[in-house]
Amino acid sequence: MLIKIINAVLAVLGGVGGAILIFFVLNKLAEVLPGKWEDRVKPYLFLLPAFLAIALYLVYPTVQTVLYSFANSTSTAFVGFSNYGDLLTSKDFQSTLFNTLLWIIVVPTGTIVLGLLIATLADRLRPRGEKTAKTLIFLPMAIGAVGAGAIWRFVYASNPPGQKQIGLLNGVVTGFGGDPVNWLQLSTGRVNSFLLMVMLLWAQAGFAMVLLSAAIKGVPTETLEAARLDGAGEGSIFFRIVVPQIRTTLITVFITVLIGVLKTFDIVYVMTNGLYNTNVVAVDFYNQLFTNQNAGYAAAIVVMLMVVIIPVMAYQIRQFRAEEAAR
Amino acid sequence: MRIRSAGRFAVTAGAVALLTAGCLSSGSSSGGGGNTSNSIELMYGFTGNQDKDFQKVVKAWADKNDVTIKFSPTPDFNNLINTKVAGNQLPDIAFFPQPGIMASIAKQGKLADLSSVLDTADLKANFVPGALEAGQVDGKQYAVLASANIKSIVYYPKKAAQAAGVAAPQTLDELMALSQKIKATGATPWCFGIENGPATGWPATDWVENLMLIDYGSDVYNQWVQHKIAFNDPKVLAVTDQIDKLLLADGQTNGGRKAIASNNFGTAGNVMFNTPPGCYMYRQGNFLAQPGFFPKNVLADLDNQLGVFPMPGKTADSHPVLGGGDMAGLFSADNDAAKKTMKYLSSAEFGNSMAPLGWYLSARKDVDASKYPSKTAQQFADITSKGTEFVFDGSDQMPGAVGSGSFWKEMVAWISGQETAKQALDNIEASWPK
Repeated sequence: MLIKIINAVLAVLGGVGGAILIFFVLNKLAEVLPGKWEDRVKPYLFLLPAFLAIALYLVYPTVQTVLYSFANSTSTAFVGFSNYGDLLTSKDFQSTLFNTLLWIIVVPTGTIVLGLLIATLADRLRPRGEKTAKTLIFLPMAIGAVGAGAIWRFVYASNPPGQKQIGLLNGVVTGFGGDPVNWLQLSTGRVNSFLLMVMLLWAQAGFAMVLLSAAIKGVPTETLEAARLDGAGEGSIFFRIVVPQIRTTLITVFITVLIGVLKTFDIVYVMTNGLYNTNVVAVDFYNQLFTNQNAGYAAAIVVMLMVVIIPVMAYQIRQFRAEEAAR
Repeated sequence: MRIRSAGRFAVTAGAVALLTAGCLSSGSSSGGGGNTSNSIELMYGFTGNQDKDFQKVVKAWADKNDVTIKFSPTPDFNNLINTKVAGNQLPDIAFFPQPGIMASIAKQGKLADLSSVLDTADLKANFVPGALEAGQVDGKQYAVLASANIKSIVYYPKKAAQAAGVAAPQTLDELMALSQKIKATGATPWCFGIENGPATGWPATDWVENLMLIDYGSDVYNQWVQHKIAFNDPKVLAVTDQIDKLLLADGQTNGGRKAIASNNFGTAGNVMFNTPPGCYMYRQGNFLAQPGFFPKNVLADLDNQLGVFPMPGKTADSHPVLGGGDMAGLFSADNDAAKKTMKYLSSAEFGNSMAPLGWYLSARKDVDASKYPSKTAQQFADITSKGTEFVFDGSDQMPGAVGSGSFWKEMVAWISGQETAKQALDNIEASWPK
């Protein structure tokens, strides 16, 4: 144990010390150069370690993954586009893509709507009521997805008919004299996927609420008063005055949740592992790589995911820049 | 300025030096290949109480025999052993939970041929037929089943079953008839649950494997497992038909077909101890009799409450056993301490010291049955040693894409009614890696 603690301390010291050492050496190198050149080269030299780190930890794996996506399951021979072809023509993967699409549409939108609703309503409460309500709604954020799975299992659990139902929903259903329902197996109309989305909404609503609430409070009261004096109703004040002024926050929340949704893995893995037509891209990736040990399919899935995420990221960065410029 | 910088430099350099030194000193690794000391590393996949029990027994032996053992339990054995083999960081002895991984490592030439280390005549005479073969690759013995488990057993509520006149069936036909007889009285014959979080579906694969073994014997079973006959062979379809009749038809299973996929395998059988029993029979592995599954009052009075009979064979004198276990393989062929330990792990002496623990089951017939702590455990040992052929769990031996992928998933899809049995078997066949 002691040796581990010493190692940890040394690692921290060594990491920081190492960084200082590198920049010290780079600085010395730059100082060797004559006058003007020192100033010209220095910024690039100082950027070099960061660039190298990005190249090593981001660019290299990305390129490697793209390459692997054109190779066979053990990455020993190239197979052209057949991984992509196999996946896109397989019924299972199509269903997985469809589910992912549903998640992308429903969860960010739902999070925004819920977050906005809660933020607006909480805003009208007295300070203590607002604090309590917000804390309660924010609480699930602190619970990991696997923990959330354990909790929601007790909501959706289903025992054979005639036995005691420990699941909340089935407790209600059987309380009214109905037969227990296998909630997570209801694949008609993707009901089970929606039930899983509810879990993510439950976990994310607090996050949206906090950001949106801050934005709403930042809306200048003058604009609201002016609108009221002009005779606008509460509805049009909200949609025409408040929403346009918190647009950037709305977009940030939407995109953050969207990226989170594309990566959704734990909730689906813990609850169904993609059974009963609830599979999503990230779970499929995991199963292809670790269960089926098919590196080709797994890489192809990741590349497709990346292709989808890149425009979203680009948009977010542009948005961020526009916001910075406006300040 | 210059002096201060130099001072900082010295401090940094010192820290870096210390850091490397510190890291080196903590990673003491003994390992296969070239390890000649009497300090050896034992790697295995069981953790928790089993790990504690095992260490206690083996350490007691090692202390007396001048061997120092470093125990390396890991819950992620299969991945870790592959990584270690790839990086040539071998343990001296490893317990393989799955023959497939052992075989692929043996084929790379990393495992020692045990014929020069162990007394093969003794092994042949005392191991259950089939148990040794599981550790063979191309006719050479690379691993020995040091710890066994069996899955072809049926649990029943002893008192209720006696009252209802239920007796252990001798053949598969008798089992079918017994099931009909129980149903005719208005009761439910079977319990069945296959829910296990992300691993949902595996208990259904055990049923298919068990019936494949009973119906066609170990040869056909092994061919099927090794994909020498197609996964969707008509023989397999016949088995799913049997399961349909025995378990999925109306009134055969507690809660009906729809409840199976959401019923947890660990507790699905517990309703058999209700009055009247929720079911009369539950087929599951011998691990189920350990704490954590059956109700506490049953565990406290195990021998009186819980009855056990083996899944019968096709005929009264065939007793095929479906099981599994941990197979010990030797990496360090030249290390005397490792060889000595390997001998011990495959001996009856080891079995006799492990038997009292309760969870342990030996694949050796000469382990003293009275050493097992309960009647139930003795029965497991009896079923194992009377086995006419012992085969390893098939899904554990199939490629991961099937054995813990499509086989699980398609069974769930079939049992929950999303697919027909034919579709499920066809999908599994299509998913077999080429």
